[in-house]
Amino acid sequence: MKKLIVCGLIMLSLVSVTKLIAADKALQIEGSTTVGPIADAFTEAFNKTYPDIKITVTKNGSGNGAAALIDKRCDIAMMSRFMKLEEFTAAVDKGVMPVAHTIALDGVCMIVHPSNPVTDLSTQQIHDIYIGKIKNWKELGGPDMPIVVVSRDTSSGTYETFDHFIMKKVKMDAGVEYVSSNPQVHARVKTTPGAIGYVGIGFLDAEVKGLKVNGIMPSKETITNGTYSLSRPLFLFTNGFPELGSLSYNFCTFYLSEKGQEIINAKGFVPVTHY
Amino acid sequence: MKIIIRCILDKIFTAITWLTVFVIVILLLLILGPILSRGTNAVVFRDTIEFRKMQMALLNRGNETNLTAEISEIAPVRQKVYDTINKFKSGIDTDALTEQVRKIYRDCGQELSYKKLTPQQYTETRSLLKDIRDRLQTAFASTDKVQIAKCTSFVMGYADDERFKGTSAGDFFRIAADFQKAVEKIDFAKHLQYVQAVGEMEDLLTQLLGPRPGEALPATAMNQFGATRWDLAEKLMDNLLWKEQWVSQKSGKSLVKIRTERAKEFAGTEIEPLFGYIKDNLEKMLKPQWRFYWQYFIDDSTPGHYFGGIGPEILGTLLLTLLSMVFVIPLGIISAAYLTECTTDNFVVKIIRMCINSLAGVPSIIFGLFGLAFFVLFLLPFLGFSSKPCILTASLTLSILTLPVMIRSSEEAIKAVPLTYKEASLALGASNFKTFMSVTLPAAMPGILTGVILSISRVAGETAPILFTGAVALGPVPSSIFHSTRTLSYGSYDMAVGDRLAAMVPHNQYGMVATLVILVLCLNTSAIILRSRLFKKLHGH
Repeated sequence: MKKLIVCGLIMLSLVSVTKLIAADKALQIEGSTTVGPIADAFTEAFNKTYPDIKITVTKNGSGNGAAALIDKRCDIAMMSRFMKLEEFTAAVDKGVMPVAHTIALDGVCMIVHPSNPVTDLSTQQIHDIYIGKIKNWKELGGPDMPIVVVSRDTSSGTYETFDHFIMKKVKMDAGVEYVSSNPQVHARVKTTPGAIGYVGIGFLDAEVKGLKVNGIMPSKETITNGTYSLSRPLFLFTNGFPELGSLSYNFCTFYLSEKGQEIINAKGFVPVTHY
Repeated sequence: MKIIIRCILDKIFTAITWLTVFVIVILLLLILGPILSRGTNAVVFRDTIEFRKMQMALLNRGNETNLTAEISEIAPVRQKVYDTINKFKSGIDTDALTEQVRKIYRDCGQELSYKKLTPQQYTETRSLLKDIRDRLQTAFASTDKVQIAKCTSFVMGYADDERFKGTSAGDFFRIAADFQKAVEKIDFAKHLQYVQAVGEMEDLLTQLLGPRPGEALPATAMNQFGATRWDLAEKLMDNLLWKEQWVSQKSGKSLVKIRTERAKEFAGTEIEPLFGYIKDNLEKMLKPQWRFYWQYFIDDSTPGHYFGGIGPEILGTLLLTLLSMVFVIPLGIISAAYLTECTTDNFVVKIIRMCINSLAGVPSIIFGLFGLAFFVLFLLPFLGFSSKPCILTASLTLSILTLPVMIRSSEEAIKAVPLTYKEASLALGASNFKTFMSVTLPAAMPGILTGVILSISRVAGETAPILFTGAVALGPVPSSIFHSTRTLSYGSYDMAVGDRLAAMVPHNQYGMVATLVILVLCLNTSAIILRSRLFKKLHGH
């Protein structure tokens, strides 16, 4: 009997502890691995201004971010795509009103090994490469070298952007290599002379060569003014518009400040604002 | 004859066993060697003054007076580089100049409004200022030396004007004079090329030496300091001296990589000798020192693990491992006791055993999803807690993951206790429970500890089960078991799939993995020592 009472007391104290924690200033952020680095850096800047708040960032993909927001497991969901209709309906059914904050723009860039002389591909050519119609760089004016086609896994937001603009729901060839993250695509292309892949614009560096698509080089300018077609906005989703002055509000509007823009620039994304 | 064959077979068998041992050792060396050696690089390395600056700024660590002395010692060496570049750029970087004259115009306009002027005077001066600004901008945008000279001389004509005395307009005339001087030497055909080359060079210099003194600090810590490690500095130095380019040899063939000296791009200018100067004075500019950075194991890191250590990750891994052991050890022993002591080998027990065995083969991600669905989404709200992933749910999930291993090994251990021990105890009149607690369990303890060792190794390294149930990529150090935590395993995963940062700090990635390996080794060693002690005690040695 005594033990039971002790157990009950422990349980009660635990409950009160959690209530206290809930009142603590905390921000739970979950979702896309692409948006993750921005949230990381925002957190760093935030911790300097508000040292007593606790921000946690979990990077487990856009879909999980949406699910967590719907279950009210997180305050802010990071997403590299817009919410799907099913997610929206599920959210509304549970009394969650998703509000999107577009914090940055990202371009999906085609990359090849720097030794590849090809500089420009049309969307049709890229489509043909990924469905396996074009199999050799010779056909595109390059050297006689088989094309090693690298794609992101089908659950990633980058894949969805690529699918939306290039593949148009047509299935990729069976020979396509699927890898599960941007750094992996980058590493594969950098070490394989015949490889082609696609990554976010932040991964464009001297070790790989970015290709023009339909004659347009992906850059901050061409993405902002929409001439480069393979681009997408990056979102933060909240349940309703955050209360003015609240922590979520400050976090979701941080991209509007000069510092926020600087961070987005430094992380290799394209800011929405122009200072 | 037969004996000979037997002997040969014997020899072959011995040879094969030796070979296997050899292969295993080689494999271990191949796997652990690079991890440990590169991981050590995260702790023992040659640091630079930028590292010491970073430690002081972020963690307030180090000797401030020494550091200030060092900084002032290197300042003139660095300043010479900046001065040379500034001088070269004065006629070239027209964008910056345009920006500068705009600012002067704004400042000057404000100053005018504080002066006691009649409205008419004010308008006149103001429009004159605007004219000066526009002419300067035309000069900056132009590549025609005659036009530039015209514009600058127009501006210079007002240099001694009474109306501009004591205002920022003086800067206009200084800039105009500097520009005129610089333009005389410029070869406009090479202008654009210089602008680009100098931009690249400055970028590399910022990476090497950090932002210039007096410049506004960038928002994130990773851009606030130059190369903090000497190996990185040497790599950047190489990039600074040599430019890699891919050039076409023949159309339709692969491009070929060539390395050209960056200095050649600046042939005949004051920048050319600067490369040699930077190369010779790199040590003076960065002051490398050997460092044993033991704080790597306790320090927090900046987001993305660019700077700092892995303290919170180690703490999180330890917490998760120990807490899940707290759940799994009693549960495993009790289940094993039930299976061996309390029931006979009937149908139900057989089914339970089969379930436990198949549970051991279930992929870990399934446990993760189960943990999310049961502990986080159902149990926590059911008990009145907020439904957020935390250390408690993560360690519960992990304990379910290792439960089969624990039950199986405890069962075997309990079964292995000689029946005579129990019989002796029962004959003395002890109850079943008493017999189990004071005779069977202590005798089975070494075997049970083997199960614990296996469980610890499994739990510490698992990523998938905690992915949804309590691990985060970035968060504060947990203050209770109701907070989520960072862990070594999830941290390594996050670094591998995250952004470009990880590729820039490979030592941190190796450091994290090496620490995980060492941590598991330490936990196991302590369990093994405990086991051998128990064993000795049991056998009365």
